[in-house]
Amino acid sequence: MRASASRVFRALLGEAIHDAVRRRIVPAIAVVSLMSMMMVDGCTTCAAAPTIVQNGVSVEVPEVAGWTGIVIFSVLALWTMVLAGVLASDHLAEVLGDGTAPLVLSRPVSRASFALARLGGVLVIALVTGMVLLGGTTTLLVLRNGVTLGPAIWGGLACALGATITASLAMSLSLYLPRIATVMVVLVGVGMIATVNAIGLFRVELGGVVGAIDRFGPPLGTSVAMALAPWIAPAEVPADPLEVSIRAAAWAVAGVALLVVVFRKQDIGK
Amino acid sequence: MNALEFSGVTKRFGERTALRRVSFTLPEGSSLGLLGPNGAGKTTALRLLLGFTSPTEGSVRLAGKSPGDPDSRVGIAYLPESLKLPARLTVRRLLQLHGTLAGLAGAELEREVDESLELTGIADRARDRIGGLSKGLTQRVGFAQAFLGKPRLMFLDEPTSGLDPIGVREARDWIGLARDRGCSVLMSSHILSEVERVCDRIAIMNHGEIAASGDLAEIVQSGETLEDAFVRVVSGS
Repeated sequence: MRASASRVFRALLGEAIHDAVRRRIVPAIAVVSLMSMMMVDGCTTCAAAPTIVQNGVSVEVPEVAGWTGIVIFSVLALWTMVLAGVLASDHLAEVLGDGTAPLVLSRPVSRASFALARLGGVLVIALVTGMVLLGGTTTLLVLRNGVTLGPAIWGGLACALGATITASLAMSLSLYLPRIATVMVVLVGVGMIATVNAIGLFRVELGGVVGAIDRFGPPLGTSVAMALAPWIAPAEVPADPLEVSIRAAAWAVAGVALLVVVFRKQDIGK
Repeated sequence: MNALEFSGVTKRFGERTALRRVSFTLPEGSSLGLLGPNGAGKTTALRLLLGFTSPTEGSVRLAGKSPGDPDSRVGIAYLPESLKLPARLTVRRLLQLHGTLAGLAGAELEREVDESLELTGIADRARDRIGGLSKGLTQRVGFAQAFLGKPRLMFLDEPTSGLDPIGVREARDWIGLARDRGCSVLMSSHILSEVERVCDRIAIMNHGEIAASGDLAEIVQSGETLEDAFVRVVSGS
């Protein structure tokens, strides 16, 4: 008798999460996260008194708090996406390489279930880290700087979509490239997209490949910044929120579908 | 009904041809030993049967289904040549996981895990982490997971690798027990005496082809041992 697909998936996901938790990189993530929170604590304390002294006169600058929040939140969201990509760079490839996967795949387990469970394991770790970082940051910003909570929730969802895009694409790539190469692609890719998105948000006209990346590529930076735009009202973000949201969701679905397709074609136990 | 069918299967990896028009069947309840020198294509045949790779030409069926279909692997047990198990898991946890994947649940799962642990003589190591076990004990864990879910077809690739002489004898008994329960067995091995004792039929592979197949009496000529017959078939003399 074959176990139900959901039962198989839960069993595989549990193992994938355990594997992810036991990775050597996890203590490093905890340390970096703790340091990030200390830094955020310092930054939000400064921004808590948003005044600029100009020629001996104090000037109220309400947007300082909003801009500070957007910058901090966006950097931490991008860090969460990078983390998801780095973790995904060998979470599937490793169990194929070390020979532990073939025994599991000899059972009535679909390749899609196995790949999605491994992706799920990565995302659980990355998103829990993201929730701690972004949740802590939001709490400090709301309490100290008076920003509203709503944009942070949308920003968190945008971060989750970005992490899914990064992790699924990195996991697909890891089936063809060595880990170090996959990690480099993640770092360069996320960095480049975030930079292009940031330039685009400042209404700089982008052409050629860079412009195409900003308009059609995964909107990793744009989606987060756009969600947080109400913090700097009345400033406007030069992008259509609906289009960016649909594009982020489409990239996430495409990334996961690509992973399933390439893993189905993969030779196991070479 | 055949437990498996291999029909005119050719498998190429780039320029290299690992299997060339290989055909054989395994009727339900019977056992077949795949013999052959290193690189003959035995492990590639097993990988095709498990859906780990696809044939370049020909077809592979497990109980009438394509190995790519997870349903074809219901009731399949596999013991790979280079058995690698997650070092962090305890023996019991690994068996619970494989039992779950094999379709067991609740009290039935726990009962079968206990039975497998007892059968393979590792009940006292159930709480040990796999990473701390010797190669021989790890191989016993491999056998224990293979017995979960009362398999109808076992793929055993060099199953006694790493076992001491007592373990080899016990392994033979375990395979015999599976056969008594009606399980079909496809075993790949270099150890001719082991295949001779366990299998009804033998197929000798060489350079990716079936060089000889049949029951022992058909392969071994008068005055020959299986080893003599193997060398004759492989060397072409």
